[in-house]
Parts: sequence; structure tokens; C-alpha cells
Amino acid sequence: MADTNTIVGQTILIKGNLQGDEDLTVQGRIEGSVHLSKTLIVEPTGVVKAEVSVCNAIISGIMVGNVNATESVELAETGRMIGDIRAPRVIITEGARFKGQVDMGDVASNRESPVRAVVAKPARFEPARKASATAARPTPVPARPAPARAEPKPEPHIEKKELVDEEGASKKKIVVRKRR
Amino acid sequence: MANVIGKSIVIDGEISGDEDLVVQGTVKGKIMLKESLLVESSGTVEADIQTQNVEISGAVTGDIQAFSKVEIKSDGRVVGNIKAPRILIADGAKFKGNVDMDR
Repeated sequence: MADTNTIVGQTILIKGNLQGDEDLTVQGRIEGSVHLSKTLIVEPTGVVKAEVSVCNAIISGIMVGNVNATESVELAETGRMIGDIRAPRVIITEGARFKGQVDMGDVASNRESPVRAVVAKPARFEPARKASATAARPTPVPARPAPARAEPKPEPHIEKKELVDEEGASKKKIVVRKRR
Repeated sequence: MANVIGKSIVIDGEISGDEDLVVQGTVKGKIMLKESLLVESSGTVEADIQTQNVEISGAVTGDIQAFSKVEIKSDGRVVGNIKAPRILIADGAKFKGNVDMDR
């Protein structure tokens, strides 16, 4: 659709908010915030001091701030970053320097999820997925039915707790569900 | 080399630099360059501009100060004051504002 590629050149400084639906290559400086539906590329000469939310980020330069990616964040070997990363796929190459937190979401299921979630979408596989729902909890969407299915199970627990004390029963209901 | 703010990009803030800048998208705020600014026909600039040269085929709202030349092309639309030693307004261009060609 948009085959243009926005480039912020070496001597360019942008202060403020930047948003768009195409790839952005930064050779210069950006301070503020960046929101893209595509890929942010920070080249070795590039410096980004911003809150970033993108689809993909490839960082070969300097990145200061939190990066929220819907797909992946790659910290290349020349990349230096201070800030938190939130993305289902995070790649940190040898040589890269990084200080901050990494949150890859649901760690247990994510390894298998991106590919299988897409492949398994056709309706034929639905029964099979329900059977193995707990094992392959691919996206937040299939995760929602889980509490509904879990509801019948807490009932015996609640009954036990109501026997213990009536006042704490409502609180304990919540606790039980959280454990599930 | 080429600095392009692409069609779908919206920048709200300040851009400064020492090289040419091509705007195909939207910039709001302020642009300060030591070289040329080129606003293409798809570009929208709602900003005060301070550069060496400005060439406008798109829409610009804001005051323009150029150290050598401002050129409004035939499909350019400008609302704002222009201050530059050389100002060119092509046939078909739309412009509303003051012109100051004093040095």
C-alpha cells in the first residue's frame, strides 16, 4: 500500500509526537513519542528517546524509552537500549547492550502460539483446539473461554468455604478464580 | 541522504536539521532547517517554517521565513506570512498572507 519509506536523516531532530502507517527509518534523532502500524528501524547513527509503540522494531542505534511492539523487537549488535520491552518476540543479538525489563506476555504458550494460532484458525480445528486449549493458549481470544469453562469447577470449593465462614465467602470466590 | 516524511506519517512537534527535508505527510508545529524544505502535493504543513529554501506543492499553514527563496508551485496552497529575499508564486497557486521581501 504505502511503498514509501520515511527516513529521518542524520542531522534531523524531531521533537514531539510522530505517528504513521509506514516503515520509519531513523538515522537522526527523535524525542517524544512514536506510534507506527509498521516497522521502526533505528540505524546505528539514530537516537530515539521516546515512548514507542509499533508493530516491529529493529534497533541498531540508541533507544531510550519503553518499546511496545505487537510483533517483535530486535536489538541488533550495535544497538543500545535503556527501557522496557513488551513484545511477543524479543531478539537480543550478541554485542547489543540493554538495560530494562522484557515482557513477552504469556511465556508458557508464546513459543508455539504465533504460528499455530494463525494456522489453527480454520473452523475444522476448533474441536481439537478446545481439547488442548490449556496447552496451546495461543492468543488472548481463546484464553477468554477458559474462565467460563472453569466456572463449574469452583463450585465445590466455594461450598467448602461457605461452610468455613460465610463472611469471607465472596472474597474467597474471587481468590479461587484467580488461582485457576 | 533523502529525508522523507512519508504520506501516512503525522508529526506533531518540532523538526530541526541541517539537510533537505521532503514532506509527503503531515507536520504540525515547527520546522527549522539549514537547507531546503520541499512540501509535496500530498504534504500538509501546519507549522512555522524557518529554512534556506522552501518549495511548496502541497498545503502550508503558518509563517514562512526563508533565507534565500520561497517558491509556491502551481498546486501549492499557503496561508501565512512569507519573509524571504526571493519569493516566487506560480500561476494557479493559492496564497493568503503578507509578503516581505526586505532583507
